Parts: sequence; structure tokens; C-alpha cells
Amino acid sequence: MKILVIEDEVKTAKFLRKGLSEAGYVIDVAADGLEGLHLAKEVDFELVILDVMLPVMDGWQVLAHLRETEQKPLVLMLTARDAVHERVRGFELGADDYLVKPFAFSELLARVRSLLRRTTPRPQESLRMADLEIDLLRQRATRAGQRLDLTSKEFLLLTLLARRAGEVLSRTLIAESVWDMNFDSDTNVVDVNVRRLRSKVDDPFPLKLIHTVRGAGYVFEAEQ
Amino acid sequence: MSSKPSNSLSATLHPRRTLAFRLSAAYSLLGLLLVILATASLYLVLRTELDRSTELFLADKLHVLRTMLRERPDDEDALREEIELESEARRYQQFYIRLLDEHGVPIMTTPGMAEQLDLAELASRTRGRSERSIAMAGRHGQPFRVTSATVTVGTPQTHTDTVQIAIDVSQEEELLTRYRMWFWGILLATSVLFPLVGYRIARHGIRPVEEIAATARRITSTNLRERIGSEGYPSELASLAGTFNEMLERLEESFERISRFTADIAHDLRTPVNNIRGEAEVALARARTVDEYRDVLVSSLEEAIRLSELIGNLLFLARAESPLTELHRENVNIRELLTTVRDYYEASATDAGLSLVVNEGAEPLNAELDRSLMLRAVSNLVSNAIAHTSPGGTVTLAATNEDVAISIEVSDTGVGIPAEAIPRVFDRFFRVDPSRSKISGGTGLGLAIVQSILTLHGGSAEISSQLGHGTRVTLRMPALATR
Repeated sequence: MKILVIEDEVKTAKFLRKGLSEAGYVIDVAADGLEGLHLAKEVDFELVILDVMLPVMDGWQVLAHLRETEQKPLVLMLTARDAVHERVRGFELGADDYLVKPFAFSELLARVRSLLRRTTPRPQESLRMADLEIDLLRQRATRAGQRLDLTSKEFLLLTLLARRAGEVLSRTLIAESVWDMNFDSDTNVVDVNVRRLRSKVDDPFPLKLIHTVRGAGYVFEAEQ
Repeated sequence: MSSKPSNSLSATLHPRRTLAFRLSAAYSLLGLLLVILATASLYLVLRTELDRSTELFLADKLHVLRTMLRERPDDEDALREEIELESEARRYQQFYIRLLDEHGVPIMTTPGMAEQLDLAELASRTRGRSERSIAMAGRHGQPFRVTSATVTVGTPQTHTDTVQIAIDVSQEEELLTRYRMWFWGILLATSVLFPLVGYRIARHGIRPVEEIAATARRITSTNLRERIGSEGYPSELASLAGTFNEMLERLEESFERISRFTADIAHDLRTPVNNIRGEAEVALARARTVDEYRDVLVSSLEEAIRLSELIGNLLFLARAESPLTELHRENVNIRELLTTVRDYYEASATDAGLSLVVNEGAEPLNAELDRSLMLRAVSNLVSNAIAHTSPGGTVTLAATNEDVAISIEVSDTGVGIPAEAIPRVFDRFFRVDPSRSKISGGTGLGLAIVQSILTLHGGSAEISSQLGHGTRVTLRMPALATR
């Protein structure tokens, strides 16, 4: 899948290209708004990652023009300002998502993935990873046939990790999804909760499923 | 104006706009008007009085003659005495009398009358008039008042004579002329004196204002300590100076706060940047194993996250202070909000050996709030409470309905805050125990953020604490709409 990154800050563009390429996407980079717009008109991109503060033509103008192109790619805005009215403006102009700098790359990747996930995941009845089984209907989880005694929040946390197995989930994202804490609250609370979940899900078993990615967050996978 | 030309405002350019000019102009105009009124009215009174005394003199003379002619028409000596001698004996205000018979033939005349007056003109001009005098010029141009009257002679009446009287009024005229000269003299003097003196008085009066302005002009952010000495000023200006000084006091305080804040930011930014830089330098000094590189990168990432959080908090505070900030108010169930916070922190509290409870009120409590901001405020408080309470303690969340206001209370049984630190706990970067928060990783902005969130809601945050017994923070805000 092809992604266009319109970003004038060289280092940012470089790590976006590297990180997204390694995540399996094909990346093109444009250093200013006009160049980006031309590229977007010529090539069929599925997603444009668009910075707001750009030389020649700013992100808002690029966004407005992109809405008029035939391809109508998805647009994820990046900005150093997170004033609410800017966010609202972005959505009004047709941005599909919005991320404030400085952001965690894992967060960006998660949003890119969910934007490009063509079909919304069908409601599942159960999730499975190795010998762990989550029964979403009856809200219970078992491992190696043993029932896990989880609180409702722990169950939510486990479900979130399992649904997005393989993705690094940041603490902020976890706090937001599970506890509705949509700000940078002190995120070691997430660590405490994950530790408690681990003590029930992983500690009694040789195969560990929840892994810490230092400085980034947590990932759920069956490999050691 | 004694000010430097560069910033003396418009005073030197437009003298008409200065207060001193306006005041002295008004004073002078008023003064001149009063002088004109006073002297002019005095002049008029004087003239009328002089006219009246001339008139009375003439009437008096006429009355004497009339009486003499009626009572003793044959006493010629007395008549002559009256008509010829008395006048001649006078040096000033000379008068002339002529007595004519019924055919217009002169009987008796004051000597020298013909030299002074054109008698034919006198006769023609006074003929048929009443006894009121009229003005007439003499042969040498002197001013005269003249009158004539018909008088009855003898009792019972034998015939009628005509009396003509002329009086030289040049003395009075001269007096009036001198008076007019004085008048113009006074007018000239006052029209010069009033503006000069008035301007000086006005300048003297507004000198304190200029001094205040000069002080104000001198004050910049670097010498905010300067004050206006208000001694010796009139009370109005002393209060102005006082008000001004109070403003400076507040400005100085805010400036100090801001500069302390800036120094604190610099310090808090320096630490993570220093770590990133130092670790990277040491790592690059020679070849390392992959694991070593990874450690350095992870550590840089942690520092970067710390920086991001700090920047995020600072931006939040800056935005909260902007007057453009708008709240996204919605109907919030306070109990549900407190429960959300409790759920989030429950695991941490349990880890720390504390119990975290929501004290449920009897009735459901709703308010129009920015949910996410209030969540943040309460979370900050709970996070602080957990960090400062020893195992076995309790952290309690409670909400109370106070009619038009609601209050949310977070209390703990923790270590408490020393009394002298309480006034500063809401200041940015203030830490009760600086060494402790290094370990717990707080930015020192938590309570400042709580306070700015409450300010945005039109409410307030209050803290009370007892050392060793615990701390209670109360957030009080208008409920707006409750259901």
C-alpha cells in the first residue's frame, strides 16, 4: 500500500519513511505542499500523511485541494499545535485523522493501520492466541483450559491487546481505550495494570504473551 | 516639557493639547471677562452718576431762579448775584445763565457767556424742549450741558420769562476719559498677566503628574522595583501615585513569577536533553555491542517522552490562560466521573497498599463540565494523593451539591504539606520536596494544571493540610445546569 508523506522537516520525514517502510508500506516523501499535491494527483496513494506547517503551500490548503482530486486519498494530519479549534478545522476540511507532535511512532503506526484496514473488523465471538482463548460474548478468558479470574477492566485490557496482536500499543492508547483517559495522565498506572494482568495471564504459564517494548508500550504475541 | 524628545508624546508637538495650556487659557479668559465686566459696569455707574449730578445741579439752579422770580421779581441785586457773580467766581465747572423776557430780549446774562457759546444755537436747540438738559459743544469745543425753561414772574403772575442755563462739563468728560484709559490699561495688563501667571500655576499644579509620567517612562522590566514617591502631592495625585505603585507591585510579582517559571522550565528541559546528549556522546565514543546501542536508544526515548510530557503540560497551561480557550461543556455525571478515576488508579492504589474509595452521595449529581479536563484535574489529585500516602492509608473521592455550585473533594491520610508551603503548592514547578519528585517523576505542574482547569470552569481549587495527618483538596465550581 502506498503512502505519501508531506513533511518538510528532514529528520521527521526520514524516520517516517524508515518506520513505515519497515512496517510494510511503500513510501513517497514530498518536502513542500505544492510538490506533495502534484505527487498526490499523479500517483494513486491510499493515505497521505500531511504536516500542517509546510513551505509554499500549507497543510490546510493541500488538504482542501486533495479533497477535490479524483483519488480522494485518506489524510492523516500531523501538527505541532493541538488547539481544539485546529483539530475541529482539520476534521471539517475532511482530514480522516489527526495527530499532535510530538507523537509516539507506535501511535502513528496504529492509526495508519486502523485507517488502512479496509473493512471494519467483523464482530468476533472469540479471540485465540496460542493456548489463550477469549470468549467475548460471555466475557471470560481461559488459558490452557483454566479459567482466568479477571476484573472487567483487566478483561477489556486483555481484549484490546489480543485484538491488535502484533502491534505495539502505547500506554496513552491503552489508557484511552480501556479507562477513557484521553490525555497524558501518569502512564505508569498502565504499567501497574499490565503487571497485574500479566500476573494472571502469563506468570503461571511458560509461554509469555504480553511483552514490554521499552519506551514504546506493549505488544501481544506468542513468540518469545 | 522636560522629557526627552523621543518619547515626550504629543506634548511638544501640539502645545494646544497640553493640560497647562488648556487650564491657563480657561483661567485667562474667565479672568479677563470678569475684569471687563467689573470695569465696564463701574464706568457705566460713574457716567450715570456724573450725568445725574449735572442734571441735579441744573435743576437746582433753575429752582432757585424760579423761586426768586416768582417771589421777589423786583430784587434785581439778588438776581444779579445769582446770575452774574456766582458763576464768575467759579474756576471749574463754570456755568452760564441768561434771562430773557417774554419777547426774547436778554435781561441779564452771565458775563463771558457769548464768548463761550453760540447763543443763537443755544436758543434754537433748547426751544420747545422739556427741562431735561442736552449736550452741546461750546465755541472752543468744550462740552456743555444746556437747558432752558419758562418761568413765571411775580405773584400773582405778571408775565413769563425764559431762563437758559449752560454748564461746562469738561471736567467730567476728562474724568471719564481718564477712566477709559485706565480701563484699557488694566485690560492690557491683565490680558498679559493672566495667561502668564495662569500657565505657571497650571504647570506647577500638574508637575506631579509629569513626575509620575517620567517615572512611568523610566520603568521597564529590568527596574520594576522603582516606585513613585508620593510625599508632598495633593491627595488626588497621591492616590493616583499610590494606585500606580500598587500596579507596579503586582507587575513586579508577576514578572518574578514568570522569570522564576522560565528558569524552572530551562532547568527541567536541560536535564533530559543533557541525558540524551551525554549518553549519545559516550555511546559513539567507541564501538559498542548491539545491546549497548539499544540501551542508549531506549534511554533517549524515555527522555524524549519525558520532554514531550513536559512540553504538553506547558502548552496546556499556556492555552488555559489564553482568553480564546473554550470549554466543551457537556452534562457530566460526577459519580461516574469519580468512578472512572477510581477504576484507573485502583491497581496503583492496591499496589501501594492503600484503599481508594468513592464516597457516594445520596443523590445523583450532574453538572455541565468539560469532562476530559475535569477527569484530568481529578486524576492529578488522585495521583498526588497515592504518591504521598503511606501503606494502610485511604484516599477518598467525594462530591457535594452546594446548590448553585458543586464541589469535588480528594482527601488522603498521607504525609501532609508543611503550612509554609501551602500558599505555593499551586505554583508551576513548585515541589514540596524537590528530591522526592525526582524519583516519582512528577513535573511539578500537576496542581498548576488543576488550578487552571478550575479557573477555566469559573471555579477554584483549595487545599488544606495537616502535617502527618493528610491533605484535602477541594475543587469548587458552578454547576450551571443540574438535573
